[in-house]
Amino acid sequence: MDDWQRFLIAMDKSETSRRAVRYVGNMACGLAEKHIHLLHVYPEPPPDFYIKGGQLDRYQMLKDERAGLFLQDAAIILEGMGISGRDISQRICMAEGKTISQMVLDIRREGGFGTVVTGKRGVSKAEEFLFGSISNALARHARDFTAWIVG
Amino acid sequence: MIDLSYFPLRILPRLKDHPAVRSLRRQPRIWRDTSDFTSIDYGDIILVDNRYFLVVGYMREGRFGIDEQPKQWVPKVNDLETGESNILKLVFHETYSIKFEDLKVTCYRNPEKEARVLDLVRGNPAFMQGYSVLDDADNLVRILDVVQGKRMDKYLQRLGETHEEYFRDHMVGVLKRFLVAVQAIAFLHSHGLKHGDIRRDHIFVDWDSGHFSWIDFDYDFYLPERPYAMDLFGLGNCLLYIVGRRNFRGQDVLEDPELGEKVYASLRMEDMSLLARDRVFNLKKVYPYIPERLNDILMHFAAGTSVIYDTVDEFHDELADCIASL
Repeated sequence: MDDWQRFLIAMDKSETSRRAVRYVGNMACGLAEKHIHLLHVYPEPPPDFYIKGGQLDRYQMLKDERAGLFLQDAAIILEGMGISGRDISQRICMAEGKTISQMVLDIRREGGFGTVVTGKRGVSKAEEFLFGSISNALARHARDFTAWIVG
Repeated sequence: MIDLSYFPLRILPRLKDHPAVRSLRRQPRIWRDTSDFTSIDYGDIILVDNRYFLVVGYMREGRFGIDEQPKQWVPKVNDLETGESNILKLVFHETYSIKFEDLKVTCYRNPEKEARVLDLVRGNPAFMQGYSVLDDADNLVRILDVVQGKRMDKYLQRLGETHEEYFRDHMVGVLKRFLVAVQAIAFLHSHGLKHGDIRRDHIFVDWDSGHFSWIDFDYDFYLPERPYAMDLFGLGNCLLYIVGRRNFRGQDVLEDPELGEKVYASLRMEDMSLLARDRVFNLKKVYPYIPERLNDILMHFAAGTSVIYDTVDEFHDELADCIASL
């Protein structure tokens, strides 16, 4: 079991992600030792992206720029709750050749994060069948770590 | 007078004698660049991979109940050197959306993906065979063997007079062959590839051996978190058709004299397809003799399910256990 005080927050720009950030802030602010990693993983471009003249570096730059804003916003929330900037890190990456949840799980393992946190959108069974659910995937794979799903 | 003298000698005998050329009132044209496939006509020749393919017709395809339209990007051809019949697939970057109630999935034609599938499954009888080459304008042309078989849905209609007879005498054998086809899809997924258009008419039953072969791999979907969801959905629909030997909408149940109002009134929303709400998945209400275990697999694709299949492997393993118990 990895160190539970190392938190990985898998997030997007949604309000539920911000709730997850505040939840972790509340739980972690009293801990002497902690680290909070803010992570946003975005998908590869659609199959017709290149045919339409799309360029991968431009796609990634746009995604990075947008995600950079809400990750920065999350860091400000955490610092406002008394978490030192030294205990916060950020990463934005593309899920290359894998699903977003697989990428999150890989980063969790590599970084030794004992607690993975994400917001829950609340999707129908049909939506889950077609589009998946990151929170359900994380909960299903939570074997050597703890998953917090924030509603 | 048609002048064929500028064609290579090796193709002349077949070219001169072919009805598609004899009936022409103009010079046959040679297409080395297939970008403008709508201009390629009956009696023209497509030259790729140093093979001269005479266009003798077009494949047709219709969604069920809709008139079949010729697909101009899929000409039927004859190799003028060997006489072999083939099907060519030319590059056609079509995009459209499939709607499931308020959910929308964008669908693409992806020639590169089909080419990768063809490479991967070479020699595997569970798949249509062929290879791909670039034409002079770098279009990825797929050269396909003609599948020697019959569409599965039409094949099933000939097995048994009644559903009960089909169920008793034939269904287990069909399911066993379908299981091999499901395993073949799992094999694609294990290599990061999807079929993309799994439907009951995209399985062909081999004339001689009766094994199932998948055809048509050029569709692709953008479902980053569930890349194989549409394949799974298609497999569920195929299983539904194999077990029921037809599909039932609520209206079909109502209009069937052997089912009628009583069965129709028993149908609930949770008995219908998770994604297409007019399709009955709880076949046990239609055919009470269907084993519970088999019906349970179908119900994982129904609106009332609490657990969905995550992978084709899960679906395959449950189906294999179920077949073994029948």
